[in-house]
Amino acid sequence: MNNSCNLAVAGRGVKTASCWLLLSCLLLLPLHSLAESKELRGLPSVMVLNPAAELWRDVRQRDMPTSGTTQIKGVDSGVLINANGDKWRKFRMQQLIPIGGYLLLGIGIGLTLFYLIRGRVKIIAGASDKKLPRYTSYERLIHWFMASIFLFLAITGLVILFGRPLLIPIFGKEIFSVIASASKEGHNLMGPLFMVALILVFIKFVRRNIYQKGDLSWLLRGGGIIGKKHVPSNFFNMGEKSMFWMLIIVGSVIVVSGLVLVFPIFGQSREWMELAHVGHAIGAILMIGVILGHIYIGSIGMEGAIEGMKSGYCDLNWAKEHHDLWATQMEKRGEAIANEEVNRFSDPDSNRSLGRELGEAGK
Amino acid sequence: MARMKFYCDPERCIECNACVTACKNENEVPWGVNRRRVVTINDGDEGERSLSVACMHCSDAPCATVCPVDCFYTTQDGVVLHDKDICIGCGYCFYACPFGAPQFPEDGAFATRGKMDKCTFCAGGPEVDNSSDEHRKYGSNRLAEGKLPLCAEMCSTKALLAGDSDTVSDIYRKRIINRSASVMARGVSYRDASFRAPSSAAGKSSAKE
Amino acid sequence: MIAQFIDGPLWVFSLSVFVIGVVWRIVMILMAGNRTDLSVPKGSASSGAIRTIFSRSIYERTAATRGRLLQIAGYLFHLGLFALLFFAQPHIDFYAERITGFGWPAMPHWAFILSAELAFLGLLLLWIHRLLSPVTRLLTDLDDHVGSILVFLVMLTGCLALAQSFEALRLIHLLLAELLLIYFPFSKLMHTFTFVMSRGYTGATMGRKGVNA
Repeated sequence: MNNSCNLAVAGRGVKTASCWLLLSCLLLLPLHSLAESKELRGLPSVMVLNPAAELWRDVRQRDMPTSGTTQIKGVDSGVLINANGDKWRKFRMQQLIPIGGYLLLGIGIGLTLFYLIRGRVKIIAGASDKKLPRYTSYERLIHWFMASIFLFLAITGLVILFGRPLLIPIFGKEIFSVIASASKEGHNLMGPLFMVALILVFIKFVRRNIYQKGDLSWLLRGGGIIGKKHVPSNFFNMGEKSMFWMLIIVGSVIVVSGLVLVFPIFGQSREWMELAHVGHAIGAILMIGVILGHIYIGSIGMEGAIEGMKSGYCDLNWAKEHHDLWATQMEKRGEAIANEEVNRFSDPDSNRSLGRELGEAGK
Repeated sequence: MARMKFYCDPERCIECNACVTACKNENEVPWGVNRRRVVTINDGDEGERSLSVACMHCSDAPCATVCPVDCFYTTQDGVVLHDKDICIGCGYCFYACPFGAPQFPEDGAFATRGKMDKCTFCAGGPEVDNSSDEHRKYGSNRLAEGKLPLCAEMCSTKALLAGDSDTVSDIYRKRIINRSASVMARGVSYRDASFRAPSSAAGKSSAKE
Repeated sequence: MIAQFIDGPLWVFSLSVFVIGVVWRIVMILMAGNRTDLSVPKGSASSGAIRTIFSRSIYERTAATRGRLLQIAGYLFHLGLFALLFFAQPHIDFYAERITGFGWPAMPHWAFILSAELAFLGLLLLWIHRLLSPVTRLLTDLDDHVGSILVFLVMLTGCLALAQSFEALRLIHLLLAELLLIYFPFSKLMHTFTFVMSRGYTGATMGRKGVNA
């Protein structure tokens, strides 16, 4: 009883906060300044002709070879001119940064709007007095390990991508270069750990994420996110499964391109590095967008969602409403546990034995 | 104001690499860093040409635009320089530069490349002109002494020109006119009159033996 | 000015607290003594001690199979951290300049990075498990929390300063390391030194009885 009252009060507070957040986001909208423009680059409007311009134009446009021999050892040192460099630069500065920025901001605003309009998805039948075991401690460990690595990499990556237009005006160049160096080193070092986390996540969760009967109808009914009708689902619903596969596939692209970027010692030409960077950045922005939604629904977006990942147990009514087919199976097998028993396992003041962890019946 | 540019004449360049050596010596660059390089295309074949390549000090420098920490700046003379204290060694300028001018002192596994180094047009860096700090980090500052870059000064055939773009363009244009004039006077085509003409040297390249 | 403080007086202070504190605690433990054992020795106490100090590093069979992920994480963290602390070039340079006056061969750069990765992997897995599992959550007290946070922050700031070209990042890393050194002798981190004594004691008493412990 007390819990739902507190939640209602907290809910109002969160709603007001979100309104203010939304308003401030709207103020940030003149983001076209993120895209580079000639004025911002401080260039004179009349350019002096470079005497070598004709020569280099000929090099690029005629059928002349663009690479030859040189006495200097190094990958690419025989390349006379790398025309893709400018293309990549234009992509990063004029498309990736503004479009990526708008996309992430849009997702943030969209989620805020969704919360303000739809509100928190509550357990319709109310919290029950029974729980179902949902995630073992290893599964929770792997999830939170992946979550912390992902958050760290996302934040450091975003600093590197958006730092120049957004953070240099706040901190100035000297302080920002310290932040940027820290972000770059941290990002590069933690990157391979994301690969380890991805493999662990795949091994642990792949079995439950295979698409099954019932997934398509779940999708066609919109997962029940609008309105109050139940839509039956298995352990993971189709949305969760799709996010899993997206994480594995896009995550693998991110890992592979990241490895290409972080080990430039295998003779990759600049073109490979540029390609890897494009794949890495696009994949990362997509993943961050999806994970924003995941974090939203798992935390404030849905009542009873985070419990499973924190304590390992989920409310029986929540399971019946959101993962009906799995919940009924578990109930039939007698797996439902009364709340008092679960609290005994995790209550630090209790001196009873922690039955489930130690393999006893917990009596 | 003067706008400093390089120009390398492929007709004159004989691939002696004096520009490379002069630059390395004058600026005391670390091992593995080469601010300037000479690239030879069609090596050993008809139409062999060499070009000396280093930072072209672009008016619209892609390296400056792409840098995540905005460490580049353009001096009043149009020379593109950067601040090594701010550089984080990410390598993006190297990807973006069409000429491959940025160089890094370390190999870059885990992308610890060290600070980026590149041709400064012998104009040093943001430190105080001709101070020991500036010399240690960026090499010599000849421009502050009223001199031109050493690579161009040392070029044995004056293929590599460096200086105010108007003056360089003048010299270049005069050369073209002289070449065409001498060609017209001899009544042969420009290609046949060039000292690299293939007619007598066809099939006799030492590289093919 | 803060930089000079971190590099100078605070470094001296933290190192002194560490050395004096560790020595003090070890001396106190040794001076506590043990009851004279009046039984006839059936085996060698010293060989039992040596044997147990090393044999305890191998997991007992059940813990090895049922706690495999944590076993691996534990080894990764401790071995990685040991390699980092004593064989990473920047650390050797630091010790040579400030403590010993001489250096020793460092591991190659790729091994340095690999140790850092593995140590971090181990630390994160162990720490998150400690916070999630109800058993360990029950056993974890303030000392454990402070120790975990400090070690994590020292390792993290070390990563962030990898480029070794920004004074601010190096100083933050050094400051956190100094705080860790000050905290060390008063905490469970002393297991770094006391594990030898506790394993040795168990091994010695068992060895004297002629039992393989």
